[in-house]
Amino acid sequence: MGARTETNKGLEIEHTPSSNFAKEIEAEPGGEGISKCIQCGICTASCAVSSFSDRYRPRQLIQKIIIGKRDEVLQSDLPWLCMTCRLCEERCQEGVSPAEIFQAVRHIATREGHIPEVFKSTAEKALSDGWLLGDAYSDFIEDDRDDLGLDTDLGWDNEFTHRLKKKYFSGGEGD
Amino acid sequence: MTDYFVYTGCTTPVRLPAYEAATMAVLKHLGVNAHHMKDVNCCGAQYIESLNRSAFAAMSGRILAIAERFGKDVIAICGACSGSLKHVKHMLDTEPDLKAEVNEILAEEDLEYTGKVEVKHLLQILRDEVGYDAIRRAIVQPYNGVKLAAHYGCHVTRPAEIVQVDDPEVPRSIDDIIEACGGDAVDYAGKVRCCGGPMLAMDEKVATAIGSEKITNVKAAGAKGIVTACVFCNIQLTQVQFGEGGEPKDRIPVLTLPQFMGAAMGIDEETLGMPLNKISPDVLLEFAHRIESKVIRREQEAKR
Ligand code: SF4
Ligand code: SF4
Ligand code: SF4
Repeated sequence: MGARTETNKGLEIEHTPSSNFAKEIEAEPGGEGISKCIQCGICTASCAVSSFSDRYRPRQLIQKIIIGKRDEVLQSDLPWLCMTCRLCEERCQEGVSPAEIFQAVRHIATREGHIPEVFKSTAEKALSDGWLLGDAYSDFIEDDRDDLGLDTDLGWDNEFTHRLKKKYFSGGEGD
Repeated sequence: MTDYFVYTGCTTPVRLPAYEAATMAVLKHLGVNAHHMKDVNCCGAQYIESLNRSAFAAMSGRILAIAERFGKDVIAICGACSGSLKHVKHMLDTEPDLKAEVNEILAEEDLEYTGKVEVKHLLQILRDEVGYDAIRRAIVQPYNGVKLAAHYGCHVTRPAEIVQVDDPEVPRSIDDIIEACGGDAVDYAGKVRCCGGPMLAMDEKVATAIGSEKITNVKAAGAKGIVTACVFCNIQLTQVQFGEGGEPKDRIPVLTLPQFMGAAMGIDEETLGMPLNKISPDVLLEFAHRIESKVIRREQEAKR
């Protein structure tokens, strides 16, 4: 298993946060649990991403939120590295879900225009085509489907996603 | 009996159509009324989900509302889709404001989400609706004790309170089905850990390292193959075996659950899409069902 070299510095949290970021996260759906975090690090210990990446540490990221590093967190791609596999959530003894907290961070970051390129382009595809694999659906695959006795007309609807795009993303993401 | 729609999601029909074909064949064989679903959209998992909560709820909500209109429940075969549909159902059932917001958008198509519709992952159908006894009875070519590893898929089993598929730390359903089909389900280190699939978009190296670790652990437990319940997991656990140093002879087959079961149920390999598998499942099939099938064929001939 990969080395987990997270330092324990975080256990001595500065008690004067530099912004009300934690409160802001708490008010966002999914972020409610952040105040229960005792910074024990079980999440980092159970995280598969942390095993193989030397920069992603859920405990540390939560700590950054608690101490109020708003700009740093919102502009970073770290909150977007969570796979929402929820093993940390399963194991956290305090009932905190780092996956949900980072989802809340992403929602705020999105509103402020900080979206990693791959999320932006993939969401754009979903909204314009109604599904994600329109470009990948080749004649070759159509033949495979035919051989399997499956319908080759996949019949995805995109009118609905166009309406969603107008309602929720106009001016922002993807335009 | 309940009538079901199978929501395939975006990925299966294009990247793993054999999974779709095998699912339909196995469900039919086991007497489950499953129908294809049309005019639907992506469930919004991960990408829309990460950007906007309401838009995500609307995307999965529309799929649920379409099923409601036809009076059917939904079977999902992808971890991401089953996770999204169940999550959104939970959100809509517990947040009246969100439900009203989504229904206002759906009303333009005369659709409404009321909450009647149930969402099940394929595993739940097999365990709860069909049942292990009926599965056992359907097996004509058992796997004769070949060692196999179950990979459940994070989004299939977590969060347990919402998805209600299995125990999130000690899941059993795939293992039980492996055994019902005559295989020997082995435990391995990191069984409930992720395959790394969701990481591919952001960091392929880390994603591959996560998946490769799983393959190493599975092999260390002596398993000759892997059985999955999620399209992304299946693709990811196959793909990582084609990376650097992945010798063809060291690769172990990764079968989707219905492919695995279908072969033991005597459904032919073409129907199950076996020839499309990137890693040939022959080692498993030969180990068990081909040898056995000769015996069965001889018996059948004797009866004639
Ligand atoms: S989220 Fe839970 S597991 Fe992680 S540091 Fe906080 S209390 Fe510990
Ligand atoms: S949910 Fe995110 S933070 Fe938690 S273990 Fe999985 S990848 Fe790591
Ligand atoms: S194991 Fe991998 S792809 Fe499958 S459900 Fe989890 S995260 Fe999704």
